[in-house]
Amino acid sequence: MLFKKIGVIGGGTMGQGIAEMLAAKGIEVLLVEKSVEKLNYSYQMIETSLDKQLEKWGITQAEKKLILSRIQKVVHFAELGSCDMVIETISEDIEAKKLIFSQLDQVCPNNIILASNTSTLSLTELASTTMYPERVIGMHFIYPVGKVDLVEIIRGLKTSDITFLETKRFVEEIVNKKGIMIYESPGFVSSRLICLLINEALHILQEGVASAEDIDDAMRIGYQFQNGPLEMADRFGLDSVLAALERMFREFGELKYRPSTILKKMVRAGHLGVKTGEGFFKYDKDGDRV
Amino acid sequence: MKVLVINSGSSSLKYQLYDMRDESVLAKGLVERIGMDSSILNHKPTGGQEVTEVKEILEHNTAIRKVLSMLTDPEHGVIKSIDEIQAVGHRVVHGGESFKASALVDDPAKTEIRRLFDLAPLHNPAAMMGITATENNMPGVPQVVVFDTAFHQAMPEKAYLYGIPKVLYNKYKVRRYGFHGTSHEYVSHIAAEFLGQAIEDLKIITCHIGNGGSLTAVQGGHSIDTSMGMTPLEGLMMGTRSGDLDPAIVPFVMNKEELTVNEVNSMLNKHSGLLAISGISSDMREITDGMANGDANCTLAFEMYEYRLRKYIGSYAAAMNGVDVIVFTAGVGENSVVVREKVCENLTYLGVEIDDALNAIRSGEPRLISTSQSKVKVLVIPTNEELVIARDTYRIVSELK
Repeated sequence: MLFKKIGVIGGGTMGQGIAEMLAAKGIEVLLVEKSVEKLNYSYQMIETSLDKQLEKWGITQAEKKLILSRIQKVVHFAELGSCDMVIETISEDIEAKKLIFSQLDQVCPNNIILASNTSTLSLTELASTTMYPERVIGMHFIYPVGKVDLVEIIRGLKTSDITFLETKRFVEEIVNKKGIMIYESPGFVSSRLICLLINEALHILQEGVASAEDIDDAMRIGYQFQNGPLEMADRFGLDSVLAALERMFREFGELKYRPSTILKKMVRAGHLGVKTGEGFFKYDKDGDRV
Repeated sequence: MKVLVINSGSSSLKYQLYDMRDESVLAKGLVERIGMDSSILNHKPTGGQEVTEVKEILEHNTAIRKVLSMLTDPEHGVIKSIDEIQAVGHRVVHGGESFKASALVDDPAKTEIRRLFDLAPLHNPAAMMGITATENNMPGVPQVVVFDTAFHQAMPEKAYLYGIPKVLYNKYKVRRYGFHGTSHEYVSHIAAEFLGQAIEDLKIITCHIGNGGSLTAVQGGHSIDTSMGMTPLEGLMMGTRSGDLDPAIVPFVMNKEELTVNEVNSMLNKHSGLLAISGISSDMREITDGMANGDANCTLAFEMYEYRLRKYIGSYAAAMNGVDVIVFTAGVGENSVVVREKVCENLTYLGVEIDDALNAIRSGEPRLISTSQSKVKVLVIPTNEELVIARDTYRIVSELK
């Protein structure tokens, strides 16, 4: 497979990041959203992200234009028939994802890999709605997609060897990121470890052991994390962290995954982190700490 | 044998089709401003009507496709079919220490050129795109690569090593390579020929100044020092490149602005030089126009450019303990009367005396612009890297058969 044209379903944070990163690598991208309005918004966000890179001298005007020219806006699934791979990036809702996979299964030729960027859901379950479950695989990119060079490649029960090998080749040779192989399990490797760290940081905060600032400094400076666990949670979105923890709590049934009550409280109050401007810290509209 | 020469630069693509029986040029052309919405394809069939097309050409791939269709165009083309082209020669910027001369394109050569991407991030990828597009469009046609670094492989150790831990040279081959070698070699030979003197007896400083620029001290026909370094970033201030700077600035700025390695590389290679100082353009023509209109930033950009260029001439005169000939070549060197004038104006201590009338002449021929009293001969010599590439390609492909 040549991987020259790739469909990206969903224009949220991850969809934008993946579409932009693929286009920057010279790949044609078909970006799919439900409506023209949502599509235009996602495209505009990609443009903003490129402008930020331009400001930091990371790219030139010509490069920005070239990257944008490779992203095509699409609202109908039928157009995905010509893609060499499709990556689904919608929100973590198993029913909605199942619907998308059953539709993709009909549109895309049966040798085309259908990947999901899910961070916690079961690939085996997603694949169960398709006629060709062997071509369904998990490809979990980590935010920010352009800067983190790791992809978790998750094999469902029926994912074929050829699907895995082609996905790994795509990740390592075309996208130039490290691909690690994971057998399906809730939270895979990265989400399981990082959500536990965040949850423990929340317990520490709740018990009044240390301030949010100091907890983050402990890990950032002491253990060379780029961001501390609380800022990380703000950047992922507190609702996403909560959903991931709840899912692992349900699946494993172990108390260590039980979300801290302060997390629930924050989500109920609508303080979701960077995207709402406030979480454990405050942020401006460019996502920088205030 | 017909040989197509492709010189695929960061934002331009030059091509020439040679008939090697008499080294005549059947057609030549230039695709400029690749990556912008108004790219210009200029095609000149020898003896025919010049054609110019303005359209959006965002990539080198598209540019090469356009060139091939222009060469076979029923109206403006010079050949009936692409099959008539029996060899293709490519200019490649970086040959590292592996390529001391031109080479046939095979898998190991391609791997080696790719391995050198890190060292010439603006250029080797563009050349590789040219090679790949040629392969796709002309399968089975032998290709040859001619390197900018090859001429400078003659430099002595004292000129090519940097004063940093030597283990970095042993492990990663961190050293000065120099660039524009084909051009420096060609114009220094033409200079000797033009003056009717043996190149072995001459101390020549060749100034290849275009969008990128470098100076070479050519003693006895060999490159003994050159201003570009491990990458084409060192040396003169250029269109969008910073040239020499205190290396401590790099970690300082990275830390203050929280830049990644890619961002700081892009800053120094694509957002610096004339463009950064003038705030307007990386093109010397626009800088000198701005200066003529009294623009303070353009004036400063010009002064910095000229000052740094002149300092390098002085240092190469010292490196060779004298200089007999100064050669100006490439876009700015061949066309900017004011750059040559200002540089030479303050080289009187070397005995340089420029003739203003001669300097003002525009021509495509090698020419003398210094007075008869001048101790140093100053020449303007249009470079012809394409001819050197065509000759090497012809030689290497002929040896195959």
